[in-house]
Amino acid sequence: MRLPLLVRALRDPGVVRGLDAAGWDMLLRQAGAANLDAALLVLLEDAGLLDIMPAAPRAHFEWTRAAVASHARATRYEVRQIGQALAGLGLPLILLKGAAYAMAGLGAGRGRLFSDIDILVPKAHLSEVEAALMMHGWITTHHDAYDQRYYRQWMHELPPMQHARRGNAIDVHHAILPETAPVRPDPDSLRAHARPVDGMPGLAVLAPHDMVLHSAVHLFFDGEFDKGLRDLFDLHRLLGQFGAEPGFWAGLPARARALQLGRPLFYALRYCRLVFGTAVPEEVMDVVAQDGPPPAMRPLMDSLFERALRPLHPSCETRASAIARFLLYVRGNWLRMPPLLLSRHLFHKAFIAPRAQTTP
Amino acid sequence: MWRLIPGQALASREWDGEAVLYNDLSGSTHLLDGAVIDLLHALRDRPDTTVGLAERLAGRFEVEGDLVAAIGDMLSALAGLDLIESC
Amino acid sequence: MLTVGMIAPAELRARLSGDGLVLRTGPFTNLIRSNVPHLIDTVALMYADYPVEPGGGFADFHLDYSLARGMRRWFHAQVRFSYDGSTPFQPLPLAQAYPMLEWTMNWCVSQRAHTYLIIHAAVLEKHGRAIILPAPSGSGKSTLTAALLGHGWRLLSDEMTLVDLDDGNVVPLPRPVSLKNASIDIIRAFRPDAVLSRPVEQTTKGTIAHLKVPAGSIARAVEPARPAHIVFPCWEAGAPLQLELLPKARAFMQVADNCFNYQVLGARGFGALGRLIDASDAHLFRYSSLPDAMGLFERLALGEA
Repeated sequence: MRLPLLVRALRDPGVVRGLDAAGWDMLLRQAGAANLDAALLVLLEDAGLLDIMPAAPRAHFEWTRAAVASHARATRYEVRQIGQALAGLGLPLILLKGAAYAMAGLGAGRGRLFSDIDILVPKAHLSEVEAALMMHGWITTHHDAYDQRYYRQWMHELPPMQHARRGNAIDVHHAILPETAPVRPDPDSLRAHARPVDGMPGLAVLAPHDMVLHSAVHLFFDGEFDKGLRDLFDLHRLLGQFGAEPGFWAGLPARARALQLGRPLFYALRYCRLVFGTAVPEEVMDVVAQDGPPPAMRPLMDSLFERALRPLHPSCETRASAIARFLLYVRGNWLRMPPLLLSRHLFHKAFIAPRAQTTP
Repeated sequence: MWRLIPGQALASREWDGEAVLYNDLSGSTHLLDGAVIDLLHALRDRPDTTVGLAERLAGRFEVEGDLVAAIGDMLSALAGLDLIESC
Repeated sequence: MLTVGMIAPAELRARLSGDGLVLRTGPFTNLIRSNVPHLIDTVALMYADYPVEPGGGFADFHLDYSLARGMRRWFHAQVRFSYDGSTPFQPLPLAQAYPMLEWTMNWCVSQRAHTYLIIHAAVLEKHGRAIILPAPSGSGKSTLTAALLGHGWRLLSDEMTLVDLDDGNVVPLPRPVSLKNASIDIIRAFRPDAVLSRPVEQTTKGTIAHLKVPAGSIARAVEPARPAHIVFPCWEAGAPLQLELLPKARAFMQVADNCFNYQVLGARGFGALGRLIDASDAHLFRYSSLPDAMGLFERLALGEA
């Protein structure tokens, strides 16, 4: 089965040389739908391919460039302000996900846009952190009592907070999976292995193994695949960069087991290889396969994930994809919350809570 | 002692004694009296104390009352805008 | 050059409900698809003079206006806007399909086109001088714009002034002028020659109609213009004509406040806006009489005011 044009271009930017106007049109539309247009800009520019592009698609990449630069500046400033707000608490500020990639200067951070900043703090200090943020202008969102309970009790975060003046959102986590999940990656261990960021005192990010595992958990447990391809591409970039470090591959399976994240790692490595051709050593795949689902289930999971991870674009969409995405949504939530709570949560989300759609 | 926050390029435009300034850190744009731009440029030349700045700018500023206090107020306001910091 | 008006109605209908019609508006191409009959008719009317480009190539924006599926189709029929497969807005009542087209075309440009400083303003040109009119709703900007169009002024834009970041020129994006509530009757009376779309009631902005752009403005869409004046219009019943020069630094801030993408553009936007303020005088403009206002604008265009 032919991979979508976007995926082919991400695997090998050189394929764009053969594109006609219609091809560029398709590529940019898939990239926009998958939230990967900024990443595509970075890849094409690094490969020296911007100059061979016709003027019309080229203009779109310049539009994206402005948004990327603005986002990078806003991220640096926002992280700085968060650091200042929490300075008095004596806790290292551990960044997660997109903000972490950006501030640590990782390849995965280039052309990676995100709307919230995620941080990890010790559970015991959650109230102090919330209070300090409020003193510096952040206010809680999701005032509905049900949502408050959802976030505080069942999930692993404070309800998202938003800065009253700047409007930027911060998600404060004390673990990377909710307490109701069947596995418990130990947050103390994650914090103990965190690495400081060069040149930024007080700022830290997860260790490389943990960053990869967190990304895998986020993708394969979250159940919301709107950004599925983008998250898989994050993993591909992280693995590509860290894979070159001595000891990374050798230590990865054991670390996954220690954090009870063997299954998500299996999926992460399997689908990164399938979709992006990530170079994963064979011996690592063999070890990790032992934590995967029973072999009989693999074809089903493969077809579900393969469909779900396609860019959300009419050119890639089939009825089967929509169903696959829904099944995985339900599955994802089951992995995080017990079944009894699940149906109430889904019902409430769909019918009670008004959902304002955010613009892309 | 005061200094410009590293990374501030002080892009500004001035017309008829009033100025606009682009804040590289926050991305905000500020409307300022032209004199404040002079103050910022003086700090860019070299970090200084409130008193030191008052001495350097005495000939160019027209202020009712205590010049040092007025400059002190301006510096506090600029710190609040993340343009300068104490060092 | 092929324009919408040269396409037979049956063919137009087939294209719009099939693979789509590629419409050029200023520097942008829009692939438009719709199965809403009255929308197709209104596009045929309002966009008759606009260039059509061949399909199957690259289009800047992909816009879909379809009858919303489901039970509601027959009772409270709705139109849904899709931007490239995503639906960023709630559906609207079917009657609002054409205003929805205009609003969403604006939205696309203001969200994306960051090679321009985009000011929420009308901009017109005469005698080689462009006048930019930033104005929130209710200021009378569109009534003034619509009136001026009948007196030799070229329309560069009604809602979005595009300023080239490098050379400071205003790049035309001529599109139908939106009129609200009382303005509709005022313009009907003032300009009996004007072609208006059928007024649509009960939108969030009241009753809306659009004025068709003169063919000359569309034909000259490739010609940029040099900005000469920025005028903040303020209609006030009984007010005497008054043009008040604004201090430039303050004008800078006011224009920045009226931009869609000033924040995103960062230092580059700061530079471009500074150069715009250098190049143009900014004024606050109070008026109550449309003919008097037009006389003043004529003098501004001639460099006399």
